[in-house]
Amino acid sequence: MSIEIINITKNFEAFKALSEINLKIETGELVALLGPSGSGKTTLLRIIAGLESSDTGSVIFDGEDHTGTSTQDRKVGFVFQHYALFKHMTVFENIAFGLKVRPRKFRPSKEVIRQKTHELLSLVKMEELSNRYPAQLSGGQRQRIALARALAVEPKVLLLDEPFGALDAKVRKDLRRWLRKLHDEYPITSVFVTHDQEEALDVADRIVILNQGKIEQIGTPEEVYDNPANPFVYNFLGNVNLFHRRVEDGKNIINYSRPHDIEIRLEEDEGEFTLAEILFIRAIGPIVNIELKRLDTGDFIEAEISREVFKDLGLAERKKVFVRPRDFRVFTPDDYAI
Amino acid sequence: MKKKNVIPGFGITFGFSMLYLSLLVLIPVSMVFFNSSSLGFEKLWEIASSPRVLSSLKVSFTTAFAAALINVFFGFLVAWVIERYSFPGKKIMDGLIDLPFALPTAVAGISLTTLYAPNGWIGRFLEPLGITVSYTPLGIVVALIFISFPFVVRTVQPVLQNFDKEVEEAASCLGATKLQIFRKVILPEMFPAIITGFALAFSRALGEYGSVVFISGNMPFKTEIAPLLIRTKLEQYDYAGGTAVAAIMLVMSFLILFSINYFQWKVSGGKIKRVGGR
Repeated sequence: MSIEIINITKNFEAFKALSEINLKIETGELVALLGPSGSGKTTLLRIIAGLESSDTGSVIFDGEDHTGTSTQDRKVGFVFQHYALFKHMTVFENIAFGLKVRPRKFRPSKEVIRQKTHELLSLVKMEELSNRYPAQLSGGQRQRIALARALAVEPKVLLLDEPFGALDAKVRKDLRRWLRKLHDEYPITSVFVTHDQEEALDVADRIVILNQGKIEQIGTPEEVYDNPANPFVYNFLGNVNLFHRRVEDGKNIINYSRPHDIEIRLEEDEGEFTLAEILFIRAIGPIVNIELKRLDTGDFIEAEISREVFKDLGLAERKKVFVRPRDFRVFTPDDYAI
Repeated sequence: MKKKNVIPGFGITFGFSMLYLSLLVLIPVSMVFFNSSSLGFEKLWEIASSPRVLSSLKVSFTTAFAAALINVFFGFLVAWVIERYSFPGKKIMDGLIDLPFALPTAVAGISLTTLYAPNGWIGRFLEPLGITVSYTPLGIVVALIFISFPFVVRTVQPVLQNFDKEVEEAASCLGATKLQIFRKVILPEMFPAIITGFALAFSRALGEYGSVVFISGNMPFKTEIAPLLIRTKLEQYDYAGGTAVAAIMLVMSFLILFSINYFQWKVSGGKIKRVGGR
C-alpha cells in the first residue's frame, strides 16, 4: 500500500512539530525517517498511524483519504521503542491478540489463530518461548515479539518507532539486518523512525531527513550521503571537517570534508596543504582515527586513514604533518544552516 | 558473596521488626485466643452458635462485603477520573479522598445519620421512594462505604498512573475497540491492585465500630454488628463471651483474607509481574 502525506502541519501549543510536510512512499518501500530529537519524525509516524491528528493536511493510503480514519480501522502495524507488550499475557497470547479481538464475523477459528501464531513465532525464531511472559525475555526478544504481534494482523503498512533504540549495539545491528532480510522476503510498505544515521543508511531503501519539522532531503542512502542537499544533511550523516577559505572575490567559503577524505603527508607538496599537529591516535581495526589541530587557525580536524597508510607514514602523537581535504563540498553561504 | 543492603545488619533490623510486630500485633491477638480458650470448646461453640451472635456476625460480614464491593466499582471510577482526565479542582478532589481517614468515625456516623434520617437532607427524598437508610442494614453499608472508601482509590491510582499509554496504543493499532482495550488490556493489569484494595476495604469495614453505632440503631437480630456485640458483652462483665466473639471474627477474617490472597496469587498465575525497562 502506498502512503501519501499531503501538506501535514502539526503544532503542540507554541511548538511547531511539523510544517507543511509532503511525502510519497511507494508500495513495498522501506523508508527511514531520520532526524535529531525534536525534528518531528515520531510525530509524523504517529500521524500516519492515526495515533495523533494533524492540524492541517491529509494522509492518503492507496489514493484513498484516511485522514479521519481511526487507528483501529487503519490496518497499520506499529512497533514501539519500548515494545509495549501486554505484560499479563504470554508471548503466544501477545501475538494472537490482534486476531482474537476481531469482530466475530472476521475472526479466524481457534485452530487458524494457533497455526498463524506459530508461523509468526518461527518467523521471529522464538517458537520455544511461546509460553513465557514478556518480563522473562531480553530486550531483543521482546522487540521481535512486538514485531510478530504487529505482523499478525497482516497490516498493509508497518510503522516502527525507533525500534532498536532501547537495545545494545550488538543486538541492534543483528536485528536491523534481520529486519532488512524480512522486508526483502515480505515487501510490506514500511516506515521506520531513527536518529541513528548508520542505521538508516544500512537498512532503508530511501531516507527522509527531517529537521525542526521540515524535510531537508529525500533520497536513497547513496544519494543523501554522496550528494547532501545542505550543510545540515552533510553534518548529520557523518563526521565532518570544516575548512574556512577566502576566495578571490573576497567572499568567505567553507569546505565540508569527511574524515576519510582527509589526506595526510609528511612533506608539503603543491596544492593546499596546511600544517597540523597530531593530538590523538586511535588505531583499532583496519581504520585508524587521527585527531589533529591546525597550527594556523587552531581548528580541530578528524581524519580516517587505512592502517597501511598509517604505517607507511610512521605517524605518532605530537608529530607535525601536512593535511588537505582530498575531496570536499562547498555550500554557498546562504544555505549555511549549521 | 553476601548481598549488600542499604540498611546494614539483618540481625538488628529483623529482630526489631519481630519485636515490633509481636508487641503490637501478635501478643494482643493471641491474648484474644488465650482468654477465650479458658472457656473450653463446648462453651465457645455455645456462644458462637447463639442466634444473637450468629445474626450479628452475618450483619457484619455481609455489610462489610457489600461496602467493599461497592467501593471497588466507585473507587476504580474515581481513580480513573483523577488519573485520566484533567479538570479544574482535580488536586482538591484528590485531597478529599483521604478525608474519611482523618475524620473521627463518630463524626462521620453522626453526620451520615442526620443526613439520611427520614427527615434529613437526603433521607427526606428517599423516604417517599420507600428507602430508609438510617437504622437499617443499608445505613450500616453507607457508613462502611464512607470509612473504607480511600483504600481502593489509593491502591488502584498508582498502578493506573504507571500504566504505559503505548500499550493501549499498541492494542488500538491491532484493531481492538475501546471496550476491548479496557477489558483485555487495562483491567487485567489493574486486577491485583483492585483485589488488594478490596481486601483492605473489607478488613477495615469489618472492624468499624465508631460510625456504625450511630447509624445502625443497634437492634439485636437486625442491625447489631459483631464489634458492638463484643462491647455489649464487655459492659455486662461477660469478658469470656466478648473474647469468644472476637476470636470467631478473627478466624473468619483470617480465612477470608487468606482466600483473597490465594485468589490474587492464582489470577496473576504466580508469574513475574514487573517488566524491566519501561
